[in-house]
Amino acid sequence: MKNRLSWFWAGVLLAVLNFIVFLSAITNRPIGASTTYPYLADILANLKNSAYFLKIKIPGHWELIFLFGAFLAGLVASLIFKNFKITSIHERWKKRKGSSSLRRLIWAFVGGAILVFGARMAGGCTSGHILSGGMQLAISSLVFGIIAIVSFLVTGKLFYRK
Amino acid sequence: MFITILILGFLFGLILQRSRLNTFNTIGGFAMLEDLTVAKALLTAIGIGAILISLEVWFGWASFHIKPFIVGGVVIGGIVFGVGMAILGYCPGTLAISVGEGAIDAFVGILGGLFGGLVFTLIYPQIKPILGPDGGKISIGTLLGGNPVVSFIAAVVLGGIFVWFAFYLDKYERNQLKK
Repeated sequence: MKNRLSWFWAGVLLAVLNFIVFLSAITNRPIGASTTYPYLADILANLKNSAYFLKIKIPGHWELIFLFGAFLAGLVASLIFKNFKITSIHERWKKRKGSSSLRRLIWAFVGGAILVFGARMAGGCTSGHILSGGMQLAISSLVFGIIAIVSFLVTGKLFYRK
Repeated sequence: MFITILILGFLFGLILQRSRLNTFNTIGGFAMLEDLTVAKALLTAIGIGAILISLEVWFGWASFHIKPFIVGGVVIGGIVFGVGMAILGYCPGTLAISVGEGAIDAFVGILGGLFGGLVFTLIYPQIKPILGPDGGKISIGTLLGGNPVVSFIAAVVLGGIFVWFAFYLDKYERNQLKK
């Protein structure tokens, strides 16, 4: 694809962005995403007095706005660069798992639920643990990163068997 | 504050969208070991970021925000997270970007994520005991004594290794393609 940002520059820019997010004068916290999910779910389900909601409401609010910005970027950039496409199934999924959209959507729901549950157990996801924590050389995040990637690759090997 | 966070989120989405790191084909491709873009970009980001963040903390412009090493939560959560990410082909941040691009599976993934978040909230009081023991907010820097200069040197050395490993994977990937 033309105009594609290389993995190297994407990595450098993510590092610079997190440097800015960390600054005390800007937001004085790391990038994170997964708290958005229980935060929004608890508001919708009226669980605002639950012990967990009270624990996460400040980062949850921040991350919800952050992800809304990310969503807007996905929309705007895909319209400008012409890769906006309403689709439920992708080339690589089709090759391994067939072309049933329903099957893809069921797995997406199951995968999403497992993903967020795991992230909340660990206290972070790819953004909060692997990226932000990794950049601080935090033990929790380095351990999470290694275990999550191994689990990801083993699951990938079994789940996407040809 | 709202606008600042929104702009930062927009930039996050823009970087990932322009490098295609948010898509199922890229993340799922990593699970199938057909595409190492995710690994290379993450390693580069961590390597460069480690150096930048240790510098800004040293200069007093920022503080560390280290997550506690809750052993049970990190280990079990890491395994569970990896399973979910492989099946879904997105992570919590990239889901939002891909929905913006029109990916319906990412939208359904968000619904699944909301369900996972709801279940976690409901069983949090019961699950809390297995998340520990809490090893505290430790990092390579704090283990080396917490001196900012020592932390910076450690970040340069380890950060360099991370970036080197990204280039090593890139070379490996290119050689595989040639075969």
